[in-house]
Amino acid sequence: MPQITADDLKNIKAVYKDPRQRGARASIMLCGGSSCSTRGSLKLKETFEKELKQRNLDSEVSIYVTGCNGFCTQSPLLTLYPGGIFYESLTPEDIIQIIEQHILKGEHYSKSLYSTGKDSIAAFSDIPFFKFQTSRVLKNRGLTDPDNIDDYIGGNGYFALLKAVTETEPSAIISELKASGLRGRGGGGFPTGLKWEICKKAGSSPNNRNKYVICNAGPISRNISDTDPHSIVEGMAIAARATGASKGYIYIREPEHRFIISRMNHAVAKAKEYGLLGTKIFGTDFDFDIEVATGAGTFICGEETALISSLEGTRGFPKPKPPYPAVRGLWGKPTIVDNAETFANVPLIILNGANWFRSVGTEKSPGTKIFTLTGEVINNGLIEVPMGTTLRSIVNDLGGGMKKKRKLKAIHIGGPTGGFIPESLLDTPATFEDIVKAGAIVGSGNIIVMDDNTCMVNTAMFSMEFAKGESCGKCSPCRIGTTVMYDKLVDITEGRGKPGDIEILQDIAFEVKRTSLCGLGQTSPLAVLTTIKYFRDEYEKHINEKWCPTGRCKALTTFNIDEKACKGCTSCARKCPVGAITGEKKQPHKIDQTICIKCRTCFETCTFGSIRILGQQTGTREA
Amino acid sequence: MKGKILVVDDDNIIIRSCKGVLEPMGYDVSGTINPREALELIRDNDYDLLITDMIMPGIDGFELIKRTKELKPDTTVIAMTGYSIKETIKDTLEYGIMDYLQKPFSPNILADTVDRVTNLARKLKSQLAITEEDDVDGTHKIEAVNALIKQYKTVPGSLITVLSKTQEIIGYLPPAIQRLIAKGLRIPVSEVHSVVSFYPCYTMKVRGRHNIRVCIGAACYAKKADSIVQKLCNHLHFDEDNVTDDKKFSYELVRCLGACASAPVIEVDHDTHGTVDPDKITEILKDYN
Repeated sequence: MPQITADDLKNIKAVYKDPRQRGARASIMLCGGSSCSTRGSLKLKETFEKELKQRNLDSEVSIYVTGCNGFCTQSPLLTLYPGGIFYESLTPEDIIQIIEQHILKGEHYSKSLYSTGKDSIAAFSDIPFFKFQTSRVLKNRGLTDPDNIDDYIGGNGYFALLKAVTETEPSAIISELKASGLRGRGGGGFPTGLKWEICKKAGSSPNNRNKYVICNAGPISRNISDTDPHSIVEGMAIAARATGASKGYIYIREPEHRFIISRMNHAVAKAKEYGLLGTKIFGTDFDFDIEVATGAGTFICGEETALISSLEGTRGFPKPKPPYPAVRGLWGKPTIVDNAETFANVPLIILNGANWFRSVGTEKSPGTKIFTLTGEVINNGLIEVPMGTTLRSIVNDLGGGMKKKRKLKAIHIGGPTGGFIPESLLDTPATFEDIVKAGAIVGSGNIIVMDDNTCMVNTAMFSMEFAKGESCGKCSPCRIGTTVMYDKLVDITEGRGKPGDIEILQDIAFEVKRTSLCGLGQTSPLAVLTTIKYFRDEYEKHINEKWCPTGRCKALTTFNIDEKACKGCTSCARKCPVGAITGEKKQPHKIDQTICIKCRTCFETCTFGSIRILGQQTGTREA
Repeated sequence: MKGKILVVDDDNIIIRSCKGVLEPMGYDVSGTINPREALELIRDNDYDLLITDMIMPGIDGFELIKRTKELKPDTTVIAMTGYSIKETIKDTLEYGIMDYLQKPFSPNILADTVDRVTNLARKLKSQLAITEEDDVDGTHKIEAVNALIKQYKTVPGSLITVLSKTQEIIGYLPPAIQRLIAKGLRIPVSEVHSVVSFYPCYTMKVRGRHNIRVCIGAACYAKKADSIVQKLCNHLHFDEDNVTDDKKFSYELVRCLGACASAPVIEVDHDTHGTVDPDKITEILKDYN
């Protein structure tokens, strides 16, 4: 179907039938996202087909495999229409029961419904994890097949491109974007409209088509390519129209991410087949083509100038800015680099207008933001919330609170180079500026919730190990600074900390942040700075008392049994992997310190709280 | 003794200088100026490494290597060449030449090359013993790489693509292949090597048949990815290159597989496994043979 016209597009949409209404009796939307398919959702499909056929229901019930639903802890999962009933953690036996009870008798199959612990919730839209979300970029999640372009067109897909190409002037696209206040979702939060405007003005002649549009599809973009890869393609095409670029690249950092690569390749090929990419798009003189390019791993290539170096076939070294890529980027030509989520927002703004976009979010950070919520909260998964939602709401309402009723200690936000925000600042709204004010960054939008079992010094050490390993080595503050900080933190966690170390760490972290060339070096010290700022007492305990209160730093820990609290239930002795715990039944037990490997198993096993974590040398402090 | 080496060159000075450099390093070095005598020596002794000149009267270097491989297929070979190695490089895999010494070479280069090659050969040998039946079709692979180079020769910035695809074909990126690519794409070898050594996806080491990638990104670390690594190491015995003795599994640590919501995550070959319970790691590996 080359040279698709506006009428063709409208036709596709008109004849498109929502998969939720395809089955006369029931329509099953089975999640085929990466998490669900690794846990056997395709096997479930076979079971469905076989069992439905046996019962002669196959003509009345439709099964549709969709993209990722986002609620990955509950996978494999499905929603059943009519009603949108949500079933989770499914096995083939559950499928038979769903057919027997739900489809045949019309009763909910309660075993597989979502449960809050007390009650079960049937309808997908009532589950808190979904209820508190605002689906914009992810509006199609769980409803469409990401590999099917018609599904995307059926939900108004590519109509924004049609509008941008046939009705709107490039400058009008940019002013709409500027009015919307969309900020780059890659972490920095640079105003997208402004970036595009710079790129549009750059270049020698007004008709210079030697410009590039690059989608930085790092691992986090897996989420969008899992649900709606075409929204990225459409957003990039609109960017090309606005800035006058003729060539686009979808840069996927990890060549092992075959899942994203094949999905994006498929989406681009389909768009080309439909004539939505290529020459004379919608019969106009607008040409745009996209190529899927892969990198070769390494975190630094998520930085835009390093990404460009990698695309040029060299080591992924960042370059000093300015000149910004929008002025001088790939092969020295003006280049737009935006991440997948930013591009996915663009068609929505073009179609619905800047005011609609601003209807959620805050004045300075309008719109929604996708976060991956993980760690010690009950619900893990992919969430899209209006910017400005407080972190507390994300943890409690969407996350469903802490696992095992543990106490929240801190949340780590912004990906591996992000910072830590303590419990006391949980009312911080999730906006670019507020999170930076708290000392962290929005970054990749990864939120890790940590409970009181986490040692902040140890976690900061891990962050530095990451930064040290991923530093590209081009500029010395980052290359040397991260290594020095890592060594210092190792010393502290192994009992060699000295008074004054905290100040040294702070000084180095500050200088690395101030003098590094690119975002990696500028943000990786945040882990050290925020842990010192909010958890200084923990550092002091490690250094002055040689005591790790959480028992994570083995060199600073001994595990002891409080004889008064021990009930002699023997469960710790049975769990101990090295047999260090001895004692008679109903008598207080003892831990042999020469055998103990400090694995924390006894601490986690004991239900009476009789295991005490004490310091190594003094052995007198109590947790 | 670090290894038994035979040096074949029609110039006695070369043999003497090789002995002078390598013997103090702990190698047992013999030498001959006569290729025919060399073949007899090879038949009667077990040499770890053959260092041979390529242009010699009577039997030339290629012939010598071919016959050596017939007599003792396990012998590792370094070729010494006095001329540009353009034509000979494509024979690398075909003849089983591990590396080249371009004359004239300094003692340092000789020492480095011999050390590197003997180390690599030791690792390769156990690997080859297993994969010999399935595939030693080196020529075939080299043809594929050559076709790749031809395809991308005119595309600017194609080095990373070519390296990735070559690694898919060969499994790793040995120095000889890097030189082949550098020549083909008209890029300095140093630049190719700088790119290979920069990106974590590229390996100059042989991997196991199933490669396990354990994510140690922040989310996975918080969910105790380290105990997955520990269980893995307890369960399988990895050598210093993280490959098991039977070359069935190898593992590597990666920085983020982008599936943070299902942390901790591991990837075995191309399958992603989420929410991995460290104690159940053996069950996951059962499916891979």
